[in-house]
Amino acid sequence: MKADVINKSSNRVDGYEKVTGKAKFGADINFGNQLYAKTVYSEYPRAKIKKIKLNKAKKLDGVVEIITAEDVPGTNEMFGRFPVLAAEEVKYVGDGIAVVAAESQEIAKKAVKLIVVEYEEIEPILDMKKAVKDTKELVHSDKEDNIIEHSHHLMRKGDIEKGFKGADVILERTYYTPFVDQAYIEPEVVISIPDPYRKGIEIHGSIQNPYSVQENIAKVMDHKISEVKVIHSTIGGSFGGKDESVMMMAARTSILAERTKRPVKMVLTREESMTESCKRHPYEMNYKIGAKKDGTIVAIQDEVYTQGGPYNNKAMFANWRGSVHATGPYQVDNVKTDYYGVYTNTIYGGAYRGFSAPQTVFGIESLIDELAEELNMSPKEIRLKNCLKPGDTFATGQKMGKDNIPIPLKEIIKEVCEKADYEKKVKKFKEYNKKHSEIKKGIGISCTLRGAGLGGEGIDTAGATITIDKDGSITLISDLTEMGQGMRTAHAQIAAETLGVSLERLSFINTDTSIIMDGGPTVASRGTLAGGQAVIAAGKKLKDRLKKVAAEKLNCDKEVIIIKNDQVYEYDNVNNMIDFDELIGVCIAEKGISLSAQGWYNPGPEELSEETGQGNAYPTYVYGCAVTEIIVDTKTGEVGVEKIIAGYDIGTPINPQQVKGQLYGGILQGLGYGLMEEFEQKEGYLKTDNFDDYLIPSIKDIPDINVILFDFEDDFGPYGAKSVGELGIELVAPSLVNAFKNATNNRIREIPLNLERASLGKNLSK
Amino acid sequence: MDFDFLQPTDLDEVCKLLNEYKGKVKIISGGTDFMIDLHKDELSPEIEYIIDVSNLRDLNYIKEDDNKIIIGAGTTHNEIANNPIVNKWAPVLAKATNSIGSPQIRNRGTLAGNIVTASPAADSVPALLVLNGKVKIKTSSTTKEIPLEDFFIKPYQSKINQDELIVEISFKKPPMECKSGFKKLTRRKAVDKARLNIAVLALQNNIDEIEILRIAPGSITPTPERFEKTENILLNKRPTKELIKKAAEQVSSTMIEKSGYRWSTEYKKPVIKTMTRRILTRVLEVE
Repeated sequence: MKADVINKSSNRVDGYEKVTGKAKFGADINFGNQLYAKTVYSEYPRAKIKKIKLNKAKKLDGVVEIITAEDVPGTNEMFGRFPVLAAEEVKYVGDGIAVVAAESQEIAKKAVKLIVVEYEEIEPILDMKKAVKDTKELVHSDKEDNIIEHSHHLMRKGDIEKGFKGADVILERTYYTPFVDQAYIEPEVVISIPDPYRKGIEIHGSIQNPYSVQENIAKVMDHKISEVKVIHSTIGGSFGGKDESVMMMAARTSILAERTKRPVKMVLTREESMTESCKRHPYEMNYKIGAKKDGTIVAIQDEVYTQGGPYNNKAMFANWRGSVHATGPYQVDNVKTDYYGVYTNTIYGGAYRGFSAPQTVFGIESLIDELAEELNMSPKEIRLKNCLKPGDTFATGQKMGKDNIPIPLKEIIKEVCEKADYEKKVKKFKEYNKKHSEIKKGIGISCTLRGAGLGGEGIDTAGATITIDKDGSITLISDLTEMGQGMRTAHAQIAAETLGVSLERLSFINTDTSIIMDGGPTVASRGTLAGGQAVIAAGKKLKDRLKKVAAEKLNCDKEVIIIKNDQVYEYDNVNNMIDFDELIGVCIAEKGISLSAQGWYNPGPEELSEETGQGNAYPTYVYGCAVTEIIVDTKTGEVGVEKIIAGYDIGTPINPQQVKGQLYGGILQGLGYGLMEEFEQKEGYLKTDNFDDYLIPSIKDIPDINVILFDFEDDFGPYGAKSVGELGIELVAPSLVNAFKNATNNRIREIPLNLERASLGKNLSK
Repeated sequence: MDFDFLQPTDLDEVCKLLNEYKGKVKIISGGTDFMIDLHKDELSPEIEYIIDVSNLRDLNYIKEDDNKIIIGAGTTHNEIANNPIVNKWAPVLAKATNSIGSPQIRNRGTLAGNIVTASPAADSVPALLVLNGKVKIKTSSTTKEIPLEDFFIKPYQSKINQDELIVEISFKKPPMECKSGFKKLTRRKAVDKARLNIAVLALQNNIDEIEILRIAPGSITPTPERFEKTENILLNKRPTKELIKKAAEQVSSTMIEKSGYRWSTEYKKPVIKTMTRRILTRVLEVE
């Protein structure tokens, strides 16, 4: 049946509010009689707290309350060991020690400066490798080492030693990636208010995952989960970032709100956001690859260390995803993979679009190119030879191409290379580079596969409620969060398609934990994949009720009722019809039917062995291939990206325009990752804490981007849709360094490829 | 921090206030540097008054007479970059001011502001140095003019006194036949401070001998200055690849002489050499 609403580039359902400024972001929201909170941060990367002197600050006119760790009513340790406030020891420069609530932001700022903390400095643990080896120096003294709990994930497939024995060529390479920031336009905001009607607390703010905040705050406040209500405000981008930091902010403001019985608002400055919020984990990836002379990969071994900082609640999940994808989209018979998360006294790693993929894909796709060079093969051919094809087995032993799950890597690589005129360009650039001694051109490939949704990482359940009002208008409440990615529009299109009505009827409500079931976090590109299924489930329930009433009214069988384009009629007898609005009237006023339904989606757990990592990792996968052209000034190190051609199979796009927007955005963040983004730290202190030093691509850095959408049939997701949020980001950095090698004959194994690395082959630090 | 925010309506009042509140006052014009200091709490604790000069008409102009181009201190980068007089007589300055920040910053930031901040990486300064720019400074009772090259003391510190205000920047019109160039190297293609920058102005006679040559590299010395030793290598000669190479090497070694070997030297040493070679090759049209 032809789709009426989905697979169309309709405007965003929240577009009007955003374009007219009606949408309120966290910082725009104010409650009467509110206080302003500000945190006192640690002055050292690691130190014992000897004394906190609050007297002077307390005396300041307009200061209403100051709290320290002692004032936390429930637990002071949230998920991932994050303290609400540091009690005995500060473990990084973003640790909070005290929080002031004052009548104005200015007073709060002044008060923070009047608080004196006496410390006893301790040598911080900064180096990841040292933290692994030296178990005498511990970030957490109750542990035996510095490995983050449950962060060791492994993969064991075939016989690794036998695999390498059969190899003609063996390469060992190490790749490095830095801490990088999500760089959302809106810094974090949280406002906590004492619940005006009952015991409990109400929390508003730029909160990506309302349910995890709710659960953690309940423990901190010693409340029942039902006594904590979280409503997210309009969010100005998150990309995984507005999670740990807003959890800490919610805890601090909730304590202050209950103590003062007043609303308490906390807005982070950009500097505070960069210091206190999570970053993408830096990786050290030690790879060993073995191959036959003809290019067939026979074994891959890798040991990967991911830097966590002093607290972490993501390494245990991200490392699992990393361990599954460590050998890339390739058929490898013998695999040995180990991922470890490491505690250090530095800023900390968390979720940032990709969740291990930007690092892992950079590693494996650089490695494959290095193997091609070693074997004197074309980067394209080596990928075509080894990429997973129907019947192959993934690193987890999962059989690919089964149960109508397509595995179209070969087709995608071929078509993207053809569109990019890859072979011709390789020759053309070779000629160009012969003639030019200083300016060089290069072209590079990368390809990927990505498990869709959470897979074996967790239960991928989601919920949605659809309510039809008397006038036929429809409210959709999803338990997942709109952060700017366009999820609401995709959900509305899916709801309208399922119900057979026009998109204009749909309206939305911000996620409110008190009115809908916990459907997990809005992560892992699962908004459409899992959330969309919940919307379909709710829509089907309602449609069934509507059909029953329509059948009675039209005097025919329920099975032959069609609801389509706001019309309700008998199949093959279109004139026996009733208007949709009229039908709603009949349902509510005449029959007393409930027109509110919840949909729940539960794909069930994926089964994987903890000892070997073997099993079905994900129910389905998305794919991509990118070709990047660059121009390099070998003398100055300036690298200009000229063109990116990228093809993706994300299933059927619910909204092609939004899908492309997502991919363009991901590509640009990938470009920043490859070329310029990096947090500089010195002895545990953060040197880059605003956008003057932390550079992200400007409009002038944006190349010509051509996105090709493939749609290989896959019926796992809602209306054939799969995952799109994260896929765009992962291909750019590897194709960029591969293009750089092609241009200059220099291999860069650490990103970003900044001026110094491009001209000197290494970074310089202040 | 609490300040009194003062908005005088004419220049005399500004000078009067500067005199009256000497040492307790800071001037804001475009605010593109000031606001950052304010945000970071890096203003001196003595400051009690902020004087806003951004609305003063008598500081915003670009004029020419027979010999000179005169630019009011409060003229913005965009006004300079788009001005026909500047583009005719000093395209090097138009190019330099057009490379600063973003359109928003260029609409707010002023020429005097870029100078008075005394950043070693200021973009307008190398251009003004090769134009032999002068800075006019006023107090409530005096007016003086000093060459820009004598204006800087050390990074972020200039010779301006607490009761003084830059009111004007001027330079002699270079001969019409002069050629010039400005190049800025950045980590990204827009909205970025210079990693390195350089301005060149040259005049060759009808047998190609170089009669005027002024070279001012930025971001490599504590205070921006003209590299006269380098200029002398080429002056009164016909430019050749070899001479340009020698001049470029000279820039590089002078940088180390003046700045010492710093963390960034390993990068800057070869790169400023390349930039000098390239800009001289281009401006002097050496094949």
